Amino acid sequence: MIVFLLILHGLCAVALLGAITHQTFAAWWPARKAVGFTPSFRAVQGAKFTNAIVILFIITFVLGAVIYPPYRLNGRTYLETMRMWSVNGSFELKEQFLAIGLGMLPFYWHVWRQSLDDTLALARKMTSALLFFAVWFGFITGHVVNNVKGIM
Amino acid sequence: MMIARLSPIFSAAFAIAYVIIEQNNLALFTYHPRINEWGWLMEPSRNGPGMYWFGWLGSSALVASLVSLVSVPLLRNRPVPSIMGWAVPLICMVLFVYLLRAFFFR
Repeated sequence: MIVFLLILHGLCAVALLGAITHQTFAAWWPARKAVGFTPSFRAVQGAKFTNAIVILFIITFVLGAVIYPPYRLNGRTYLETMRMWSVNGSFELKEQFLAIGLGMLPFYWHVWRQSLDDTLALARKMTSALLFFAVWFGFITGHVVNNVKGIM
Repeated sequence: MMIARLSPIFSAAFAIAYVIIEQNNLALFTYHPRINEWGWLMEPSRNGPGMYWFGWLGSSALVASLVSLVSVPLLRNRPVPSIMGWAVPLICMVLFVYLLRAFFFR
């Protein structure tokens, strides 16, 4: 069951990565015409991703919280025994970044809701960028930790 | 509408509260994964490691909600700067990199 939840957590994280990456690139580097791969990637309406990002963030977060105890008992104990401090510290950073991201979600939803207020353009860029960073960092760290020592 | 106006305050209060709560281990509850038991506030480990992260989230959400509620009468007819909503979490993230630096310099 834990392995199933871990894979589901990873799949939700992939969907979240796609959505937040599209939105962040569209906010910071908008494209007027969807010609070719890179401009097409950026030429999305970022606001349309907002609800999906909020829901995916919460689902991924909850799944991560459910599989956290087995990691604490097996994974982290192993990392400490093997003195893999940087991997252990990366996971510590991941949990703090994502917790702060969770607290920022109401504000993120507020600045990205329709209709878009021009005075909140910087806030939209920054909230997306912070979630983008937190989610990518969490995804890569989770992968590395799972490769070093699975939760089983 | 008021909820939307309070969102930058909640975001900033949550981030600040989380840093303080995590650093001082002011968990609202503790989970003991080995024996699958929960306890109120910060409890020492019982037959295996204790988990405080869930409690830190609970404490931070509680503090941020209280701060947001208290700020309602103070904010009447006053604009809430949106920069609070992202700059404070950004500073807190950078602060965590500093606070956890020992992991990377052993």
